Amino acid sequence: MAPNKNTAFAALHELVKHHIESFDYFVDEGLEKAIAEIKPVRIVDKTSGSTLKISLKDPFLLPPKQEGRMNGAMFPSECRQTKTTYRGDFKIDVGFQYDGGVDIRDRINFGHIPIMLMSKLCHLRGFDPQKLVKHKEEASEVGGYFICSGLERLSRLCMIQKRNHPISVVRRSFRGRGAGFSDKAVVIRCVRGDQSSVNLTLHYLQNGSARVGFRIAGREYLLPVALVLKALIETSDREIYVSLTCCYNEKYQKDKGAVGTQLIGERAQIILNELQGLSLLTRDQCLKHIGIHFRPALSKFETESDAFVGEAVLNEYIMVHLNNNRDKFNLLIFMLQKLFALVDQTATPDNVDALQNMEVLLIGHLITVYLKEKLEEWLQKTKSNITEEMQKKGNEFKDLELVKKISRRHAAYVGRSIENLIKVGRLATLTAIDLPQREGFTIEAERLNYLRFISHFRSVHRGSSFAKLRITTVRKLLPESWGFLCPVHTPDGTPCGLLNHMTATCRVASFYDLNGQIKDFLKVRKSILSLLIGLGMTSLKQWLEHAGPPEVLHVLLDGCVVGSIAYAKVEKAVLHLRNMKLVSSSGIPDDLEVGYIPVSEGGAYPGLYLFTSPSRLIRPVKNISFSTDENSNIEFIGPFEQAFMEISCPDGGNGGRRDLFPATHEEIHPTGILSVVANLTPWSDHNQSPRNMYQCQMAKQTMGFSGQAIQFRADNKTYHLQTPQSPIVRTASYNKFFLDEFPVGTNAIVAVLAYTGYDMEDAMILNKSAVERGLFRGHIYQTENIDLECNKIMSEKSAEIFSRRKDAYKSFVDSDGLPFIGQMIHPNQMKYCTFNNVSSQSKATLLRGSESMIVDYVAVDGSGSKGGIRKVNIRSRRVRNPMIGDKFSSRHGQKGVCSQLWSDVDMPFSSVTGMRPDLIINPHAFPSRMTIGMLLESIAAKGGSLHGKYVDATPFSNPTPENNSEKSSGRISLVDELGPVLASHGFNYHGVEVLYSGVLGTEMTCEIFMGPVYYQRLRHMVSDKFQVRSTGPVDQITRQPIGGRKRGGGIRFGEMERDSILAHGASYLLHDRLHSCSDYHIADVCSKCGSLLTATFVNARKRLVTDAKSSLPPTRSSSKVTCGSCKSSKGMETVAMPYVFRYLAAELASMNVRMDLRLSNEVRT
Amino acid sequence: MEGVSYQRFPKIKIREMKDDYFKFELRETDASMANALRRVMIAEVPTIAIDLVEIEANSSVLNDEFIAHRLGLIPLVSDDAMGMRFSRDCDACDGDGQCEYCSVEFHLNVRCDSDQTLDVTSNDLRSTEPRVIPVDVASRSLASESGGYDSQERGIIIVKLRRGQELRLRAIARKGIGKDHAKWSPAATVTFLYEPEIHINEELMETLTLEEKRSWVESSPTKVFDIDPDTYQVKVVDPEAYSYDEEVIKKAEAMGKPGLVEIYAKEDSFIFTVESTGAIKAYQMVINAIEIIKQKLDAVRLQDSEEPDMGELTQHL
Repeated sequence: MAPNKNTAFAALHELVKHHIESFDYFVDEGLEKAIAEIKPVRIVDKTSGSTLKISLKDPFLLPPKQEGRMNGAMFPSECRQTKTTYRGDFKIDVGFQYDGGVDIRDRINFGHIPIMLMSKLCHLRGFDPQKLVKHKEEASEVGGYFICSGLERLSRLCMIQKRNHPISVVRRSFRGRGAGFSDKAVVIRCVRGDQSSVNLTLHYLQNGSARVGFRIAGREYLLPVALVLKALIETSDREIYVSLTCCYNEKYQKDKGAVGTQLIGERAQIILNELQGLSLLTRDQCLKHIGIHFRPALSKFETESDAFVGEAVLNEYIMVHLNNNRDKFNLLIFMLQKLFALVDQTATPDNVDALQNMEVLLIGHLITVYLKEKLEEWLQKTKSNITEEMQKKGNEFKDLELVKKISRRHAAYVGRSIENLIKVGRLATLTAIDLPQREGFTIEAERLNYLRFISHFRSVHRGSSFAKLRITTVRKLLPESWGFLCPVHTPDGTPCGLLNHMTATCRVASFYDLNGQIKDFLKVRKSILSLLIGLGMTSLKQWLEHAGPPEVLHVLLDGCVVGSIAYAKVEKAVLHLRNMKLVSSSGIPDDLEVGYIPVSEGGAYPGLYLFTSPSRLIRPVKNISFSTDENSNIEFIGPFEQAFMEISCPDGGNGGRRDLFPATHEEIHPTGILSVVANLTPWSDHNQSPRNMYQCQMAKQTMGFSGQAIQFRADNKTYHLQTPQSPIVRTASYNKFFLDEFPVGTNAIVAVLAYTGYDMEDAMILNKSAVERGLFRGHIYQTENIDLECNKIMSEKSAEIFSRRKDAYKSFVDSDGLPFIGQMIHPNQMKYCTFNNVSSQSKATLLRGSESMIVDYVAVDGSGSKGGIRKVNIRSRRVRNPMIGDKFSSRHGQKGVCSQLWSDVDMPFSSVTGMRPDLIINPHAFPSRMTIGMLLESIAAKGGSLHGKYVDATPFSNPTPENNSEKSSGRISLVDELGPVLASHGFNYHGVEVLYSGVLGTEMTCEIFMGPVYYQRLRHMVSDKFQVRSTGPVDQITRQPIGGRKRGGGIRFGEMERDSILAHGASYLLHDRLHSCSDYHIADVCSKCGSLLTATFVNARKRLVTDAKSSLPPTRSSSKVTCGSCKSSKGMETVAMPYVFRYLAAELASMNVRMDLRLSNEVRT
Repeated sequence: MEGVSYQRFPKIKIREMKDDYFKFELRETDASMANALRRVMIAEVPTIAIDLVEIEANSSVLNDEFIAHRLGLIPLVSDDAMGMRFSRDCDACDGDGQCEYCSVEFHLNVRCDSDQTLDVTSNDLRSTEPRVIPVDVASRSLASESGGYDSQERGIIIVKLRRGQELRLRAIARKGIGKDHAKWSPAATVTFLYEPEIHINEELMETLTLEEKRSWVESSPTKVFDIDPDTYQVKVVDPEAYSYDEEVIKKAEAMGKPGLVEIYAKEDSFIFTVESTGAIKAYQMVINAIEIIKQKLDAVRLQDSEEPDMGELTQHL
């Protein structure tokens, strides 16, 4: 981050840094790199033979500006209010060149690109809290999200395969690739400098050969591996054979760590023989062979030679992260060796679900890739448009102005598609941005409370494709994620285990170094290489005849085989590398991942794998083998290396580690494995683990202090707690993340007792008087955006404005047609009033729904309104005071519903202090749930409030093992720390108190556990959920009651309900529910012809009268009824039936099916 | 039945009496009486509190309901509350509570014109009835009369204003009881405890060593017992500090000396602690409460003598 970055709320800024840095990369470098990679298009005029070359030059992405004349800076708060997008102009200099002549540049506007808040192009960057507040933001605004149409959206991090690292995979679906394919392969995801990636799969064939697979535009192509090897460099069969077989040595045959077997020689033979069959001997032949076959797949090479096309395929699709063909050759040999080790079971397959082999996909990188593709698309489209135009009009190819005009035509689409990506999170792509998913890349940043908001930025999704799978292996909590992903903070249900959250200390490696400069990876790699050579690595110019594991280990740096190092030297080298990471002047980046996989018997494929690449997860640990002063020994480690490191945790002993493997590293604090939200649960180490998971969910749906700038916001729905408090018992993270700025609950005095029956089954009793004094009071704010210009036909567009032209409306709305601020509007009262200039008519819009509202705020968008106001935001406020049915929860996954509000006098009271509890919960909430943390919190908070101090409840912060060894009696229990505080203030040591019944005034038979517990009010409230109806709207066709709470519908009495009533034999109830209260209907049936539909009313006038009395139950009309087909009124009967039955008859009639009713007890007339 | 009287004559002995704190003993009655007194003091002694707020201008950071709620919770001097009418029974007005018999009007008009944050406090409330003012204002004016004026005292903060913000409102205070809303409750705390009767078994006590005695005495979280520094005898210093937590009894059992001490609650004597919000003086609260209980009993007796329809009761039987 930039050095001038303000230090206020630094810990919060750290949490979203990876979002901002990735977008900064897009702005700083990614954009240019992507454009540089785009190949110019050439258009050839077939008649004249002249060519036009169109190329993309310099991009310009500008900070957000106000639209219109003013051109002032646009600030995010404006975008939120006006429901627009916070975006900057995007322009590119496009070069047009005729026949190699002068390159004429033209700046073309490619629309707009959304700008991430707090990124380098955001106006808020570097503002101090005062300045932020001035611009109507939170003082602690962290940014990291976009504003699209007024909605705050941010990217959801996705797990993808670690870049530039070959992993061996066993997957049954590989067999389906073709005949002879096995289920084993080595897969590598190669990433170019502009972040676009191509996957490469090396399949093993049953006959011992291998195939290189990759995708072009979604289609998979498979090449014999020897073809690729030979096409890459000028080589000989012998070189390939020797390179391949070097990893096998008879001497080490069955030794530990030997990966090669003698089969490898046979396989090399088979591989080479494959090409002999095709009679491809030289590199040129191979390239031509590839070129011929790929020409149809690649449209852009029409004039080039076959060999050129072949080379282009190698460049663009084979191991694209390497530029040198020799490097590619070496890596392919390495992958083959790894593949054969997998087949021979001398090495295990890598776990694709483990965090070890994964990194995250960041939004800045995704935008870079997507933009590149869209620009390429635009170039192709422009090309085809120009050729089309040429064909139509013949000679206009030379008309530069026309060409420019054509190329401008679809330019804005590029910006729009980027905005769409952020708005809906979907990639509209046909071709291969080699990603496992197409949608779900962005989510809305809900500001229900701050915890929910901030945890959006920390969430990591495993990939939406896994959500549909039945298999549960991907959802498993693997030990590899220790310290990177929180084991507690994952939702229950469908996304369980797929949607994880990064731990509070976890970061993402970025393109930026500590000084905020973009890292020079070439320089970094060079200094690493020279260091490695100094440590005894033999560098590798070509794959010479050298040994393989276990004698020497290969060294891979960012997916490039750079050399090999003797096994004896490697441990020392690793140690030295790690130490150099800590020395800032060494040129070794502090987030270098030193993945050293030691030799083992059939374990992971050994080697030394170094990574400097961005978007890896990293986390800080203490390097205790590096003996300098305390503060400079923080090392950043990645999940790949972590699995092979010895890290001790200060919480519990040595973790089974013997003297053989001394710890080289130490965790900073055991709470480092928890996410921000999970870190807030006090004494979560004393709770049953699922309870902590529930708490993580509930903390995110708590009604709290959603923001301090609530006055300037226009969220669709916000909850706000009127009187929040700071918790007495809190963890260290609470202060670290400044959560006093956004408190989410109240310290309520909680008594645990069964008082009457109203606290059974997780119900709880609230003290009515406490509520009247302000406990848990809250509001719901809802903003309605009314834009008179949309949803109108063009002619009326300019006609309607907000205005009051009738004095009769004076008491409801102001002269501008908008409601008064602070005014209460009841249902079906006027909310606002509009005036149509064309028809000169006033129209009043009424408040819908059944609940009244208070006008909190009216914001008028004055831009572009000449004749009057057309666009407003009306924010309503609704009071939500606690009532029966509202949901509350403590911080220990103990939720409950308020069942009674009892006045003070009815609550039990303490004779000593006179205290009455605010809240009563049932003791049965504890035995099965084992939330001891809540009991501890109660005792600690009681002591803390008596003492006037906050109590630290950081989990796992018990006395360290050193103290433990001194006192063999075991460490002092937490209760024994908290108890004496209570006792010193004259309270019971264990937190119980003698209470008296408030109703009777007599002492209760047992002592009651009572103390303050931090309670949260959850957003689920009855007022928003209750659904009740006696009569109301009915469906037009069936005349049955409609469903849906909003529309005043009923709750469906469904089949299962019907079945249970049937089982009880409650026929009257059944009749009542399904008939009388539903679509009761009296039909006239002709008993002669049995028809239900032919009845006609002779006297129509009288019917109108009966209709007017619609409030009465349906009665038999007094008019005369005749049968239309029998032409007689004789035999007409009335039958009560559900109206749908009549509808059925009508439907059947429409299909020429006649329904006959036989009436049994006909009344003869 | 006839002739047998269950009448008792409770006695009150005052221990400590301050404006907002009152401690007394209530003897020769039972728990139902004591609890009735407690409940009435909390929930049924009338006071005056702001009940209706008409906001004319509010550009502060707090919304109207919030301010109205805060205003309601400000305790007002309610010495006249017993004599006032409930606005629902008031016949001088139409029950809208805007006459002198049932309501007091307040005005608040504050605007911040300086760069400093302005605290709007109870001091800014202007009452139309000089006897009904916020209690902190009253106590301060009393203090200034007696010379001990403290200008640093700020009053109860209602809201804070920044430059340009304004709060203008009219509020009507009415008489009400705590049962309807907690703001009308004059009691901060009303509690009573049964007077404990503590008997130390001296013989058994003497079998203890001094060390044991000390640990036994300290087992009680409250200071009920002490050891005489001269005679080393355990004695009861403050029986009322005993909170019926039975810690000492448990301790005695743990020491293998059950019956070391016997503690009973006297069923007929109570020690009351009354703390007032300031709306009514604590002792007045007790007197008012007794008055209200009397009224309630009168109502029952009147019902009884007239032999009205006991229907409601008999219907259910």
